Amino acid sequence: MKTTSFPSEWTLQRAIAFLAALGIGVATYIAIADSGGGSPVCIAGGHGCATVAKSSYSHVAGVNIAIFGIVGYVLLLVSAFFANDVARLGGFAVALGGFGYSVFLTYLEIFKIEAICQWCVASAVLMTILLLLNATRLIGYAGTEEGLHARERRA
Amino acid sequence: MSAEPERRQRLLQLAAGAAFLVLAVVLVLIVVNSGGSGGDASNIGGKAEVDRLLSGIPQQGMVLGDPEAPVELIEFGDLQCPVCAGYAKEILPPIIENQVKNGEAKIDFRNLVIIGEESIPAGAAALAAGEQKRGWNYLELFYRNQGAERSGYVTDEFMEAVAKAAGVKNLAKWNQERKQLTGAVEETTADAGKLGFGATPSFAVKGPGSKGLELLGTPESTGSLEEALAAGA
Repeated sequence: MKTTSFPSEWTLQRAIAFLAALGIGVATYIAIADSGGGSPVCIAGGHGCATVAKSSYSHVAGVNIAIFGIVGYVLLLVSAFFANDVARLGGFAVALGGFGYSVFLTYLEIFKIEAICQWCVASAVLMTILLLLNATRLIGYAGTEEGLHARERRA
Repeated sequence: MSAEPERRQRLLQLAAGAAFLVLAVVLVLIVVNSGGSGGDASNIGGKAEVDRLLSGIPQQGMVLGDPEAPVELIEFGDLQCPVCAGYAKEILPPIIENQVKNGEAKIDFRNLVIIGEESIPAGAAALAAGEQKRGWNYLELFYRNQGAERSGYVTDEFMEAVAKAAGVKNLAKWNQERKQLTGAVEETTADAGKLGFGATPSFAVKGPGSKGLELLGTPESTGSLEEALAAGA
């Protein structure tokens, strides 16, 4: 199999870990702002973040959706530390689910809530890039032996 | 590189299947949530959001907040007005969350009929809900489920659905009183005219720091309203 056109798996793993850590930061900020009875502050001004945070769509079964976001980003971070098919497919599946939910949330923001939260947009952008990286990783390295790239890296 | 073609193919098939599944789920969620573009009595939304916004705040008639609050913000609005709905969703929530919840200010909603005749029964229905201390729940829910202007969506059925969602307990009393309160809607509309208000929403502020009733017109931001409240305190 020829995979020379793909970035090395190690590079992809590092990029995924970095973006997942950023995502954890964003989702944690939203969750903390909500748990304190407030709402996230839009850095660029406006009240879109407060409107979205107070909308009925911000919670699922009483749980702030940012909590689900934290769980998703943590799973992506963990997947970045392993170079095997479980991590590759698992990372892709989590990023795919996160991306799908981000698309739905963006639809809700535009057409139902009629307000845009910059933190939600930031998370959606991160999840989109993470999906692309995880898809690249899966397509480029699915079925390859565990540890091969680590050895290549050391060589 | 030692790849295992069969395993690789199986993994990629699984990934492709998952991608199609997610695509289908997202499409279904969007289709399910796209129903009810407003004015739909069978689909009154936003109840949880409104309940959360108004939770713990006293209501007396159409006055939201502590009756002893030093500053009073008066809003003249029309329930059919989309700009008023925008203010209810964007501009006013931070003020309700802060100044009103803290007891620094109260908001008094008064009807100013601009859009059309249907705004009169709509406004009277809000006043009748106010008689049962659910006036602001009614107002906020009406705005969040507003239909297109003058499209005929303000029916008895729609108003009753909003009243139910707003938590009006005695619907028979509400039904009777809303018919008697149309005159009150016309009165506040005339009052607004005397103040020179001809657009909705229009605001005025009254407090120890203001010179009587100070007219604000239609401030464009929460910040402008907050400044007016601070000056009136």
